[in-house]
Amino acid sequence: MALEVLLVEDSKTQAAQIKETLESVGLRVRIAYDGPDGIREAIENPPALVVLDVKLPSMDGFQVCRRLKRNPSTQDIPVIMLTEKAGPQATMSGLRAGADDYIPKDIFASEHLINTLQELGILE
Amino acid sequence: MEHRRVNTMTDIRGPYHMRPPIMTVKVEDSMDIMIVRDTTRRASSLLGFAPAHRAQLSSAAATLAELVLKTGESHTIHLNGVIDGARTGLQISSETPWLAGVSANNVLVALRSKLGDLVDEIMLEGHDVPIIIMVMWLNEVKSPEALDGE
Repeated sequence: MALEVLLVEDSKTQAAQIKETLESVGLRVRIAYDGPDGIREAIENPPALVVLDVKLPSMDGFQVCRRLKRNPSTQDIPVIMLTEKAGPQATMSGLRAGADDYIPKDIFASEHLINTLQELGILE
Repeated sequence: MEHRRVNTMTDIRGPYHMRPPIMTVKVEDSMDIMIVRDTTRRASSLLGFAPAHRAQLSSAAATLAELVLKTGESHTIHLNGVIDGARTGLQISSETPWLAGVSANNVLVALRSKLGDLVDEIMLEGHDVPIIIMVMWLNEVKSPEALDGE
């Protein structure tokens, strides 16, 4: 059975694009459109991986990541932050929040995402 | 034919012995910043850096590329492996002729303030044509706790 990814992304357009990328490598994708929903989904039905945007309504991706990494039931789930905020401070904020990778949304994002999924053992 | 990315061993300086991979990206426009980021991820992957450290290195290299792009002239970002005893690392460097005559101490303070969390070492070498050099070592343990303490 295919592994499931929880995608937390408020933009429906971008969520659809990322979902397509993840499904193209055989993963199932569940989408949460804001931070609190993402945390609830991760706790109630832990996925193999969380792909997390930074700019989210009501709670940003850094806060979501910190909460996931502090909760014993979700702390071992790998988190990849996929974001438009690419600067040094944002990168360090993401990694300090506990993200396993921090990937800017640029033309290479899909390739980097898939490479990291292989590295983390999500893909063979 | 235009070559945006070439491998070359020329013009690379620094205090450590060089090892592959050796990659070079010419920075001429904002698109090249993405290529710098991508190439850095590839180089650091070849050396065995974990994804989080690749993210740090690629952010450092992209920030350096943004800096050189602001001068309005094309410059080159060099990415190469380095060895120091048992340590292996990735060096990111670029010539910065516009910094000639500027206090090295002031430059280093500014760079460390902007990039110090992303890499292990930041150096400025050379007088007539200074070179900014940044290194992250692979063999030093970098846990999330270590990140918190930086």
